[in-house]
Amino acid sequence: MVTLKLTVLSILFGLVIGSIAGLGKVSKNKLFFGISTTYVEIIRGTPLLVQILIVYFGLPAIGINLQPEPAGIIALSVCSGAYIAEIVRVGIESVPKGLMEAARSLGMSYLQSMRYVILPQAFRNVLPALCNEFIALLKDSSLLSVISIVELTRVGRQIVNTTFNAWTPFLGVALFYLMMTIPLSRLVSYSQRKLGTYEVT
Amino acid sequence: MSVDKGEVVVIIGPSGSGKSTLLRCINRLEEPTSGRIILDGVEITGNKVDINKIRQRIGMVFQQFNLFSHLTAIQNVTLAPIKIKKMDKNEAMETGMRLLEKVGLADKADYYPAQLSGGQQQRVAIARALAMNPEVMLFDEVTSALDPELVKEVLDVMKQLAKDGMTMIVVTHETGFAKEVGDRVIFMDDGIIVEEGKPEKIFSNPEHERTRRFLSMIL
Repeated sequence: MVTLKLTVLSILFGLVIGSIAGLGKVSKNKLFFGISTTYVEIIRGTPLLVQILIVYFGLPAIGINLQPEPAGIIALSVCSGAYIAEIVRVGIESVPKGLMEAARSLGMSYLQSMRYVILPQAFRNVLPALCNEFIALLKDSSLLSVISIVELTRVGRQIVNTTFNAWTPFLGVALFYLMMTIPLSRLVSYSQRKLGTYEVT
Repeated sequence: MSVDKGEVVVIIGPSGSGKSTLLRCINRLEEPTSGRIILDGVEITGNKVDINKIRQRIGMVFQQFNLFSHLTAIQNVTLAPIKIKKMDKNEAMETGMRLLEKVGLADKADYYPAQLSGGQQQRVAIARALAMNPEVMLFDEVTSALDPELVKEVLDVMKQLAKDGMTMIVVTHETGFAKEVGDRVIFMDDGIIVEEGKPEKIFSNPEHERTRRFLSMIL
């Protein structure tokens, strides 16, 4: 349950961060574009484990002390945000340019066009990619066990430590991850079929 | 050039002659590098104008329809009035349905663009542009991407619009339409207006050599 909670919270924050950074990556504003690109490059270029360690053990050195859970959520959100930014960028670019022009020609501002026209379609186009990111994040949350968050993987380790039996508990842990990820991918293929009615001809 | 209220101006010319660019400059989808555009006595070029407000008064229909594919026909038509004009939902729906009726698609209101033919999509696009109640309508080669048998239904809607007194600027290769509906024809080549006049005169007795050469290729 902790695993699920951490993942859901992180993906939500990640979506917010990622959408903003994704907009930055298609922005004509050089500063916005620069910041977004730098953020994405740094996060994608470093291991998540290292990011988690920096947030939890590194930040206290500059005076920011965080409880394990907030630290974990921050690390996961910031990380997934970078990947989601790329997904959002691809999604926006997948929507034909003419739609932006059509929206603008009706008198919508750039942001209104994005919000009402481009992003809904972009979101639909990248739903599978977003789901993959969600699944990846769910699995990556196991790394949080290193900062003493009692999530699924750590529970498994605790059981192993007390029972000296590594086989069954870890197998059980793997099974629990599958129980979460399989329904997720099912859900996406189902929703895609439902949304398919207005797929491009 | 100037266009009077209620006038239908048809722009013809070879591809790359700047017809579409001219049209797109009018609502500033393309920024004019020089010159001024005046709508109803007010200059709309320059940095001070709120271009979004201006665009609400200028409807545009595109060659590629550009319908919002995640919305149904009626939602395409009502989106801008509801979100931008803050029109009441029911009122927008009513107006929207009336417009769809006008383009002959009231029965397709709940269809998604992908479920409609090209001609039907383009008619929805016309209804969508009309929904903002514009003073001028710009048509950018709106029948060029259509199968030949679907062209007529779109042109018929445009003819009706012209009859209703809409001010229209139409870039097209449909000479039949130009002759029948156009009050004035403008021939463009290389970014300049070479010749303009009544359709009968331009098509039957053009003054310029370039116009003649172009017409001999398409007629």
